[in-house]
Amino acid sequence: MLKVDGLAYRYRDAAAPALQDVSLTIPAGGIYGLLGPNGAGKTTLISLLAGLLTVADGNISLNGQPLAEARAANPRAISLVPQDYAFYPMLTVAENLRFFAGVLGLNNPDIKAQIDAAIAFARLEQVTGKRAEQLSGGLRRRLNLAIGLLGRPQLLLLDEPTVGVDPQSRSFLLESIAALPAAGTTVLYTSHYMEEVEAICQRVAILDQGRVLSEGTLDDLLATADSSAEIELDQPLPAALAERYSATDLGHFKFGLFFRSTVEVARLLDELAEAGCTVRQLHVGRQNLEQLFMRLTRRSLRD
Amino acid sequence: MTRLLALWTKETLALLRDRHGLAALFVMPIIFIVVMTMALHDAFMPGAAIDVAYAIVDLDGSPHSQSLARRLAKTGSFRRVADPATTDASRADIRAGRYALALVLPKGFGERLLTPAGADGQATEALTLMVDPTLNPALQLAFRNQTSAALGMLRADELTHSAGKLFGLPTAARPAERDWPDEIVSTAVQNDRSIRPPSSVQQNVPAWLVFAMFFVVIPISAILITERQQGTLQRLAAMGVPFRDVLLGKLLPFFVVNQIQAVLMVAVGIWGVPLFGGEALVMPSGTGLFHWWLVAAAVSLAAVACALLVASLAQTTQQSTIIGGVGNILMAAIGGIMVPKFMMPGAMQTLAEWSPMAWGLNGFHTVMLRHGDFAAILPDLVKLLACAALALAAATWLNHRQSA
Repeated sequence: MLKVDGLAYRYRDAAAPALQDVSLTIPAGGIYGLLGPNGAGKTTLISLLAGLLTVADGNISLNGQPLAEARAANPRAISLVPQDYAFYPMLTVAENLRFFAGVLGLNNPDIKAQIDAAIAFARLEQVTGKRAEQLSGGLRRRLNLAIGLLGRPQLLLLDEPTVGVDPQSRSFLLESIAALPAAGTTVLYTSHYMEEVEAICQRVAILDQGRVLSEGTLDDLLATADSSAEIELDQPLPAALAERYSATDLGHFKFGLFFRSTVEVARLLDELAEAGCTVRQLHVGRQNLEQLFMRLTRRSLRD
Repeated sequence: MTRLLALWTKETLALLRDRHGLAALFVMPIIFIVVMTMALHDAFMPGAAIDVAYAIVDLDGSPHSQSLARRLAKTGSFRRVADPATTDASRADIRAGRYALALVLPKGFGERLLTPAGADGQATEALTLMVDPTLNPALQLAFRNQTSAALGMLRADELTHSAGKLFGLPTAARPAERDWPDEIVSTAVQNDRSIRPPSSVQQNVPAWLVFAMFFVVIPISAILITERQQGTLQRLAAMGVPFRDVLLGKLLPFFVVNQIQAVLMVAVGIWGVPLFGGEALVMPSGTGLFHWWLVAAAVSLAAVACALLVASLAQTTQQSTIIGGVGNILMAAIGGIMVPKFMMPGAMQTLAEWSPMAWGLNGFHTVMLRHGDFAAILPDLVKLLACAALALAAATWLNHRQSA
């Protein structure tokens, strides 16, 4: 559906490119997770997909059509839900929805149906007459999402859609977003919450420093040939072992380790016993998304 | 069209809910017009009334004494109050501060009018002027001079009348009492040409209207900066709304706001200011009124465009309030809004030519005071429209640059 091929972008006066040689394929009818630390290039990629920046190097196509042509043919095909509350705080929920529907150029019979559908989708029925500035964080997020659904987009770009909401609202938002592909909307989902991405995305791309580090179905990415383990000791891991098993320090004498085969687990336990280390806990098995993310992007702070 | 209608509706709703913006646009200029018109009332009227009261103690009660009182009243410079019956009553009134001057016309004033200072050998009682000693000596002198002049005129008229009868010349039964001073009209000498200077209301209504129109910077920047900070502009761009449509969406509602301001300020000038004792604003009619509206429309376009530029330059509403507010006050100060241009020294008048507010005010004065035609207001219209076009282009460029 959406194909990104050899995409590169450099901001004016920037020392390094924000994106370089990015290639992705986002199939229709699913939820695609886009992960990356701050400054990885996620916002730049989303801005290019939303038409806020002009593609200078590389190609983006939507259903086989170059992005600019696809947007010109159907300006409502791609919808962006920014991380900010991108609506008018002084207007009511209904006025905000009417405004954005009007800006999208929806026709009169359609406008009411779509606004009603968006209100029902985000469960905003009780607050339609309330000014947006008086809404709670969760309701604001729901309004932000509801506005994004006006115009029935083929592709919905969601930038951190659950930031600052309580667990109940987050759960509601995730369930609602998970239901979107069934209604014909493909979702590109960016978030820093790994468990959210793991819960609802079928495919994932991990970006860092403008490059795609890893891309594929979630199952493929997590079920690597490598085995990972998390081990808790009573003292620091000996340096030689740390190097051999590509250990990452998780704090409090906890370490993440990687094995080329599970046979190495027994050997490690022997080596630890020889070194006088007591093993308090050991978890061996499929890595989770956070472990994969941390391994690929390293642990250093980005800002 | 659906898109523009949506943008206009949104701007209107947002403005109606911005109490501070509404106060800056409508309440502030009305207060300015009333207060400044009243405060500067005398400053704009050469030979205007002096707020000092006087009374006449007419002990003679003759047609001549009454004529002198009427002539003095006609000058209108000093305010006449009800006459006391006796000199003692008048003295008590002055002591109590009810008025500052009392002119006593002695008994026999009429009879002795043509024989002043005992010209026929008999003593003539002098006119007495009782004054409050705290009254400005210049004003005491002014009243004495007015009285002397009125008295001289009365004598001259009486002499002409008596001489006419003596020599059998045809004379009217009684010469008409003329206004005093005789048809002297004050004019302020301008740099370029001599025109009547504006009255207080003629200066203040267009001046504060121009000022108020430029204050759209406060609500416009408040909304545009909120849109930018909250990512709404980004969302609109992603929806395919070009930035020029966002600007157009703001131009029309605030143009309408400016027109409402114009109607309101003119109404205050016509009906509000007289309630406070000021002179009513006189508006041109017919083509003049159309020319007046052309100036108002050009000022509005310049004001909204400048506001959009300030909103594009500023990153926060605090910045826009400072840039917009201080910028407006500076433009008003050098543009002849706060201090009329004709009161400024030459160098300042030259500087005023660089303020868009001065172009607007000059355009209004051309129509209202000089009864100028379209050609006369054209230079100011062109300057205002050029300012609007430049500001809009700069605002569009800045927003394009920020989003790139």
